[in-house]
Amino acid sequence: MKEYLIDAKDMDEKELNRAIKEHAQNYDKLIIDNPDSRHNICAGLTEDVDIEINGSAGYFVGTMVHGPRIHINGNAGWFAGDNMTNGELVIEGTAGDGAGQGIYGGTVIVKGSVGSRTGEIMKGGTVIIGGNSGFMTGLLMMGGRLIILGDVTEDVGESIMRGSIYVLGSVKSLGKNAVMEKVSPEDQKELKETLSKYGFELSDTDYANFKKIVNIQ
Amino acid sequence: MCGIAGVIYKDKKTHPVGEALTSMLESLQHRGPDSAGYAIYGSLDFPENYYQLNIEVKRRRGALDNLKSLLNQISPIFEEELIESVGDSDVYKCKIALDEYSLLKPCINEIDELKNVRVINGSHSFEMIKDTGKVKDIAERFDVKSIMGTHGIGHTRFATESGVDRYHAHPYQSYIIPDITVVHNGQITNYWKIRDPLERKGHTFESFNDTECIVHYMADKLDQGYKLEEALDQAVIDLDGPFSILVGTPNGIGIAKDKLGLRPGVMVETDEIFAIASEEMALHDVTDSDKIEQIAPGETRAYTI
Repeated sequence: MKEYLIDAKDMDEKELNRAIKEHAQNYDKLIIDNPDSRHNICAGLTEDVDIEINGSAGYFVGTMVHGPRIHINGNAGWFAGDNMTNGELVIEGTAGDGAGQGIYGGTVIVKGSVGSRTGEIMKGGTVIIGGNSGFMTGLLMMGGRLIILGDVTEDVGESIMRGSIYVLGSVKSLGKNAVMEKVSPEDQKELKETLSKYGFELSDTDYANFKKIVNIQ
Repeated sequence: MCGIAGVIYKDKKTHPVGEALTSMLESLQHRGPDSAGYAIYGSLDFPENYYQLNIEVKRRRGALDNLKSLLNQISPIFEEELIESVGDSDVYKCKIALDEYSLLKPCINEIDELKNVRVINGSHSFEMIKDTGKVKDIAERFDVKSIMGTHGIGHTRFATESGVDRYHAHPYQSYIIPDITVVHNGQITNYWKIRDPLERKGHTFESFNDTECIVHYMADKLDQGYKLEEALDQAVIDLDGPFSILVGTPNGIGIAKDKLGLRPGVMVETDEIFAIASEEMALHDVTDSDKIEQIAPGETRAYTI
């Protein structure tokens, strides 16, 4: 595997993204040191490449990507993975509001907790949150799967149209147009396949205890 | 947008707060290019009833002499400094004494009657620095990095409503109680509903800026006996619109975020510090900790020493 190290310490956002796009064409893996919570890292990247970010990213990390597998050893700001169409974004720490906002495909995984409006207007793909998620999780969701392993606060699935929200922890309240169901054996099987792939170890009882939130039809 | 930042050191000792806030605000420069400002508490070790005035003075013949003449009628001038600034004016900083705090606002009003001068602020326990331009330039102009303190708040401004000038830069201060300041990212949509009852109580407004409204609102609540945390909780209930409000008092800082969480706010707390900012990158200027907390919609957080 051909790797290339980018030290972002003295780069502005545009310089960093230009370096990422340039080297993504010639290397299998890019390692980014000193990201210093810069915004828009990897924006619009379409190369089939592994990206490892050592530190925290700012707003819109991985926005509009199609293909790369991005791994952040830190936290992320608002709108992580926004409008992604294909690829993978793994955040080891926490993320701000709007994680997985508007994704069409691919997978966004946040190992810790996130802010509000997680997965809002998502149309496809999968968003997994290892911790808790805040206000209006799944707002105006139009498709895809949103999986929360912790608790969610008020108005989950506000104005949800399509797609499914799975919550293992507590649900403070549902939003308009949202209804809560039990998970089916097929749902449990699918959840187990997805979560095991990303290293989440849950018991069969846990899988049976997921709550499924969908449009009220 | 706008960027807000605050830091308080838990040991109550003085630290290079000016340098810390400058780093934080430089990290948040992209959120507000118009102007920037600081309120650094614990930086003025003044005897009781001594005050620092920051006064904008236009470069007009006689303006500074007239100002000093008036000041000398009010109080001896114990220290003074003229700081060259941008535009057509400079900032005159001086130290005066008054018989009691209630005379500070009338003193400011009297000075404001003079032509070609405007009082930026008057304070006893904190140093206010605010100006138009970039954080780096303002920090150099006012030698902010040398200012020690126990805590402080700061702001980078992206003006959306009122004018871009030194006075409208944040922080804003109220004189309802001593030494309260506010920086703010957002808009208060029920501005007049908040302002009207405050004016009917006799509080005076100097601008139409919603941050001025917030600082009077917070000062009024604290004056009624609310604790900082309680006043912030009440602000979440009473104020409409998207906002993250950061308040500074002589012994603490605190944040309130609107009910829908439409403006950002993150914080970190370690054994040494409690810090708040619009974005995580600013927190890493004052701590290596990665235990960053998202401030939830409608949540308030405060720390007092």
